[in-house]
Amino acid sequence: MCGIIGVISKNDEKKLATITVQCLERLEYRGYDSVGVASMEGNELEVRKAKGRIDEVVKRLNILSMTGRVFLGHTRWATHGEPNDINAHPHTDCTNSIAVVHNGTIKNFRELREDLESLGHKFKSETDTEVIPHLVEEFKKRGMDSFSAFKSAINSIQGSYAVLAIIKGENKIYFAKKDNPLIIGLGDKMNFISSDIPSFLPYTNKVLILIDGDVGYITPDEIYIENEGKKVNVMDRIKIITWDASAASKEGYAHYMLKEIHESPRAVDDTISGLISDIKDVKNAIKILEESKRIIVIAAGTSYHAGLYFSLLLQREGFNVIPVIASEYYNIKTNQEDSILAISQSGETYDVMMALKEFKANGSKIISLTNVIDSAIARQSDVKLYTRAGPEIGVAATKTFTSQIAALQFLYSLIKGDDYTYLNKAKDVIRRSLDFEGEAKLIGEELSAKSNAYYLGRGLSLPFAMEGALKIKEITYLHAEAYAAGESKHGPIALVEKDFPAVFINLGELVGELQNNVQEMKARKAKTYAISVNERLNTDKEILLTVEDERLSPFAVTPIIQLIAYYSAVKRGNDPDKPRNLAKTVTVG
Amino acid sequence: MKAVVLAAGKGEGLRPYTEKEQKEAITILGKAVISHVLYGLKKAGIEEVVIVTNEHEKQIQDAINVDIPFETVRQKRPGITGAVLDGMDKIPDDEFLLAFGDIIAEPEFYMNLMNSYITGNSKAVFSLVPVSEGMQTYGLAKIVDNRIEIVNEGSTLALAGAYIIPKGDFTDILEYFKKISPFSRYFIWSGKWIDIGYPEDIINAIEVLLSDLNNSIISDKAEISKTAVIGKKVIIEDNAIVDDYSVVKGPAYIGKNAYIGNYSLIRDYSSIESEAKIGAYCEVAHSLVEPRAEIGSKSYLTYTIVGREAKIGASVITVSYPANPVRGRERKLGALISPNEEIYHGQIIGPNYRK
Repeated sequence: MCGIIGVISKNDEKKLATITVQCLERLEYRGYDSVGVASMEGNELEVRKAKGRIDEVVKRLNILSMTGRVFLGHTRWATHGEPNDINAHPHTDCTNSIAVVHNGTIKNFRELREDLESLGHKFKSETDTEVIPHLVEEFKKRGMDSFSAFKSAINSIQGSYAVLAIIKGENKIYFAKKDNPLIIGLGDKMNFISSDIPSFLPYTNKVLILIDGDVGYITPDEIYIENEGKKVNVMDRIKIITWDASAASKEGYAHYMLKEIHESPRAVDDTISGLISDIKDVKNAIKILEESKRIIVIAAGTSYHAGLYFSLLLQREGFNVIPVIASEYYNIKTNQEDSILAISQSGETYDVMMALKEFKANGSKIISLTNVIDSAIARQSDVKLYTRAGPEIGVAATKTFTSQIAALQFLYSLIKGDDYTYLNKAKDVIRRSLDFEGEAKLIGEELSAKSNAYYLGRGLSLPFAMEGALKIKEITYLHAEAYAAGESKHGPIALVEKDFPAVFINLGELVGELQNNVQEMKARKAKTYAISVNERLNTDKEILLTVEDERLSPFAVTPIIQLIAYYSAVKRGNDPDKPRNLAKTVTVG
Repeated sequence: MKAVVLAAGKGEGLRPYTEKEQKEAITILGKAVISHVLYGLKKAGIEEVVIVTNEHEKQIQDAINVDIPFETVRQKRPGITGAVLDGMDKIPDDEFLLAFGDIIAEPEFYMNLMNSYITGNSKAVFSLVPVSEGMQTYGLAKIVDNRIEIVNEGSTLALAGAYIIPKGDFTDILEYFKKISPFSRYFIWSGKWIDIGYPEDIINAIEVLLSDLNNSIISDKAEISKTAVIGKKVIIEDNAIVDDYSVVKGPAYIGKNAYIGNYSLIRDYSSIESEAKIGAYCEVAHSLVEPRAEIGSKSYLTYTIVGREAKIGASVITVSYPANPVRGRERKLGALISPNEEIYHGQIIGPNYRK
C-alpha cells in the first residue's frame, strides 16, 4: 500500500508545497518508509525524494521551499525492493521530463524493462513503477501526443495501479486507476487527486470517485475521464461529502486497531506467500539455525511473545534455544557458533539494535524478522526475513503479531521437514474466530470493570496468555499478569479472592492439567474464563473454538485475546489506537 | 444520498404495548426512537428520508423532531421485504441507505457507514455488530473470504440495521443480501448500539445514552425546590418541576413540564418524559415513564416501562427479580404498561408483568 497525491492550481500558489505535504501527512497511514514530491512550473520539473518518514524528509530536503503550479506526492510502503532514496517515488524518464507516482504492482515490469532497455532507456531504480515514465517517453518519441502516450503506457502494463503522471510544460495531471483507490477533489481554482478523501478534505468536499478502467487528466479547472475509450460524463459522478469524513481512512471502523484485527487473515496470507517467494532467504535462515549450537531469540514486547512461542516449538524438537528479552541482552554472551533471531515489527527497536550490535561483534550470525522492508535491524542481519502485514497504525500490535506467528510457524515447519501447506488454512481459522467477536466483547466488557486479572496457560499456550495480558495492560490500563498455570500454588494464588478474574488460554494441549488449575481458581471463588481450542476447560465463561489442524490453534486464539482487550478498552472509554505513555516504535533505550 | 427507514414492524417483542403504539415512536430522553435514527442519518449527510409505516403512520409523523426532509409511505406489500420494496419505489438513485427505525446508536454509526461506502467505492456496504445475548433474535452473518455470509447460527456478528444497497428486483430481502454480498463491503461497529426489540432494550438504552453524560445539564427554566437534591449526571429540561425534598440522584432524565412530587427518589438510569407526573414518596429506578403518564404516590418502579398517558395508582410496587429477559445480561425486568392503561392502587406486579 502506498499513498499518492496530485495538486494542480491555477495560480502560482506559493503554498502548494505546504498543501501537498499536509495531504501526504494525512496519507501516512498508507505507508511511511519513504517520501517524494515533484513540482512543476512551466518547463521546470523538480523531484525531491528520500527514504524516511514524512516530517523528517520534508525538513531534510526542504520540500516546503519547492514552488510550482503542479505537485505530485508519494508516501511509500515497500513490499518488494528495498526502500531507499532511489527507489522512492516520483520516478522519471531518461530526460527528466516525465514524473510518475504509483500505488500498486506491475506484474509484467521485467519484460517491459528489458524491452525498454533494449531501446536504449536507462533505468535508475529497481522499482516496477519506473517503466511507466519510460513507456510514456517512448510512445511520445514515436510521435504520439501526451495523452495518447500515457494511455498506451497504461495499456502496456498488467497488474494493479493508481497512477499519476506529469509532463514538463503541460499544466495537467494524467491519471489511471485499476484495483487501487483514486479520488478527485474539485476545489476552488485548484483540483486534487489522491488515494483517499480525508487527505484533501480540508480544501474541498466535492469529490469524484474514480472506478476501474478510468483514465484521463485534470487541470486546475477541468476534469477529463475516459473509460473503455468512451468519454465519461463527469457531472454525473460528482458527489458532495456533507458529513465529517475525516475518519474515512478507517473504512467504517471506529478504530484502526479493530480494522487491523480484521485485516489479520490477509496479513497472514500475504506473509506466507511472501516467505514462499523469498524461499531462498528462508532456506538460508534454516541452514544457519540448524548449524548453530545455540539459537538466541531476541525481541521486545509483543514480538518477544512471538519469539517465545517459536522457542518453545524448537525446544521441543531438541534445539538449544534461548529466548531473551532485548533490554536484558547483557545477560548472555554469544559466540561464533550461535545464531541470533531478532524479531521486531518496526525493525528499529532500540533494545534489539543494541543487542545485535554486541552479538554481531561476538561473531554470531544474525537472522531478522521485521515488517518493514530493509529496516535498520534487517540491514544488520545476515538473512532478512519479512512479515507482510502492511502498515499498522494502532500502537498495540495485532495483525503484525499474528503475522509473526505465521512466519515463525512457517520456519518451524520447514525445520521439522513438515509440509507447510497447512498454513494456507490459517486465514480461515482466523476468520472463524472473528465470528466469535460478540463473546469476546462480552468478556472484554466484564474485565473492564475489574482492576486486576490473571492470564494463565501451559506449554504453547503460555506465550499467548502473556500476549493477552500485555494487550489488556497496554490499552485498557488494567493490571493483568500472565504466568504458567502450574505456578499458581507457588505464590500468585494468594491474591485470588471472590470474583478475581482468571483468563485461561487453552490451545488444546495439556487440557487435564489446565482443568486442575481451573478448579484451584474456582475453589477460591475466582471468576474463570477460557479461550479454548477443541476441548473445554469448563470455566464460568468459555469461548470454544474448533480447529481441525491443531497446529493452527494459535490463529484461533490470537484474534480473541486481541478483541477482548479492544472491547475492554472501548468500554472504559480509552482510545485503543493511542494508548497513554506508549509509542508504536520504541527507538529509545 | 437518500434513505429508506423502516418503521412498520409489528413489534412482537414488546406486545401488547406495540398494539397501541409503534415502538419507533417510544420516547427515550426526550427523543423518539426514530428521531435517534434520523438524527444520525442527517449527520451522515442523508438529504431525504422515506419512512415506511403501517396504521400507526401518524404516531411516527408526530414523533419526528429532527430537521430533515421526509415523507411517509404506507406499507402495501407484506413483510420486511415488502416494506423495503415499498420504500425503494420512492428512491430515484441507483443506491440508497436502508435503515431500521428501531436502532439507537451514535451518529458515527451512520457516518462510518458512509465512510466505508466512499472509501470502498462498492455498491453495497453492510454494518455488523457483535452480540452475545438473545442470538436467535438477530439476523447473523459470518465472514467468509473478504465478504459476509448471512447465517442462522454459528456467529456472534449481527446485521446492525443500516446498510447501503443498490436498488434491485427481489422477492426476499435476505436472499437479495446474499446475492449482493460478493461485491459488497462490511465493517464492524464497535460503538453504542441497541436494537429496540424487547423491554430490556429500552431499559438498556436509557443506561447507554445517559452513560455518556459527564455533568448535569439543568435548564434555567426548570423549577427546582431549594430543598430538592440534584445529583450528578442529571438532565432536567425546561419547566420541569422538582418539588420539595425530592432527590434526583442520577444518572436520570427529567423531561419538559414533568413533575417530580415531594420526597420522591429518581435514580439509576431513569427517564421521566415530558409532562409525566410522579406523585409524592415514589421511587423510580431503571425505568421509563412516557409523556403524560402519571404515577400515584408511594409507588415503586424498577426495570419498568410506563406508556404514554398510562396511570399507575398509589402504592403500586413493581418486582423485577427474578426475570428471564431475552436479551438482558441481568435477570431483572419489572412491568411493561401499555399507553393509556391503568394499574389500580396497591397492586404488586412483576417480574415480567405486561398489560
